[in-house]
Amino acid sequence: MSAYRTGDPLDRRRFLTAAALHGATVVGATALGAVDADAAFAAPMRPLDPAVAESAFAEGRITAINDDVLAVAGSYGDHSRVRVTGATSVWKARATTAADIETGDGLYARGVPLPDGTLAADAVWVNIVNLHATIRGIEKTRLHLAHGRHEIVGNLMAETTSAAYGTASPTADLSGLTIGQSAQVLGAWRPSDGSVDLVRVAVAPGAGRRR
Amino acid sequence: MSALARDLAPLVLAGVLGTAGAGKLFGRGTARQAPRTALARLLRDGGRAALALRVLGAVELLLAAALLAGPVTPLPGGAVAGGVAAGAAAALLGAGFLGYLLYARAAAPDGTSCGCTARHDTPVTWRAFVRAAAVLVGGVAAALAQQPWWTAAGRRPAAALCLVLAAAAALTALSADPDRRWRMPLRRLRLRITGHPLAATGARTEAPLAATGARAAVPLAASVELLERSRAWQSVSRVVRSALLDHWDDGGWRILQFAGVYGGGGPAARPVLVLFAVDAGASLETVREPAVRVSVIDADSGAPVLATA
Repeated sequence: MSAYRTGDPLDRRRFLTAAALHGATVVGATALGAVDADAAFAAPMRPLDPAVAESAFAEGRITAINDDVLAVAGSYGDHSRVRVTGATSVWKARATTAADIETGDGLYARGVPLPDGTLAADAVWVNIVNLHATIRGIEKTRLHLAHGRHEIVGNLMAETTSAAYGTASPTADLSGLTIGQSAQVLGAWRPSDGSVDLVRVAVAPGAGRRR
Repeated sequence: MSALARDLAPLVLAGVLGTAGAGKLFGRGTARQAPRTALARLLRDGGRAALALRVLGAVELLLAAALLAGPVTPLPGGAVAGGVAAGAAAALLGAGFLGYLLYARAAAPDGTSCGCTARHDTPVTWRAFVRAAAVLVGGVAAALAQQPWWTAAGRRPAAALCLVLAAAAALTALSADPDRRWRMPLRRLRLRITGHPLAATGARTEAPLAATGARAAVPLAASVELLERSRAWQSVSRVVRSALLDHWDDGGWRILQFAGVYGGGGPAARPVLVLFAVDAGASLETVREPAVRVSVIDADSGAPVLATA
């Protein structure tokens, strides 16, 4: 297990790749619950295993970071403390690590309440936004979006931003987006300038055919 | 030129009041918009606000007609009584608009519609103030007009045409929703001329297909979607606790790493890593029955754990 123990992330990945490819192959398709960024907005996940405590949630702005505990001021005046561990997944426009979390960020966390009052986070989504908008302008590096009366700049991220046309699978091909389209936008808000790093732009079916 | 502008003011003002009045009086949106305007707050009732907007529309139309009709009785001084009355009324209306806008701004600093054109749900902006001021100034100018607008236009037709066109352009620019009217069409036109700025993203996804015959890697979101609808996910979903922790591509495979707990909630529970390997080029579009490899390994030792949960 020396490769697993090593601190070199490439060695570790190599080891994990070998482990993954030696795993059992399961073929078949079925519709099940999701744990991706969409799940942050879904109904609370009920564990199948009765021994596992039901998931708890926390949301709000991070007011302080003390080692691995995030102090969170909730939107409704409540306060919570969220503990991030090595097993916690951190999403900030992409899968990342706790080092990317900053004071002032918005947070949505799912986890298990501990006796000391903290929430041991299983998953943390940082600055996640999911909004309905209209595409008002298209440039090489960004989209101009209108959400209600608010103008929002959406930053396109190479290798990350995907488009979903109707019910089709997400694609890296953004050439089907047109001005005037309504879009469901999933992304990460940037507190510094109020823009949104776009992760997925979902538009109506067939809309991508027009130019 | 200023004398011409003064004499043509009734025509331009009639155009402005006529359009706004017709919109308020006959527009289907008036009843829908009224409860959201600051007027509804002033009158404390959306229905009354709608009625008031329609009455105001009728008044604006009447004023427009009076301004167009021009003088009724020439006065000894040369001024024209009908025009003076209509111009003064329009100036009063403009002053009233300004007062109303100030009230709307104070009553609802952000967001309340002004109901100015009764078409779009537009908040009170500097444009609304400039429009109201234009009505006030136009009304004063119309009241001061020395001759009917058609006489003035007949004497200097080219200058009159230029002046009216310029006024129309300025008033269009001041219209409630410039984005809808001209910014978006202009952007669309630019895209049509210069091409789609993101066309390269389409070429990027298709090029490797043609070049190598191999499938290009799909976006991560497509792989996660494929995984979450797979039987492999079903078989270990009760072990998985986190969202996606890490991912990387290796030799055509895409490895997706999650954290989980194995062995129930008791003291025997162990932290584990759940690893999935999926075809990096597969998505729900291309594969009906995805083959997904699953591994559960102990998070501390790296030893494989049987995924029989």
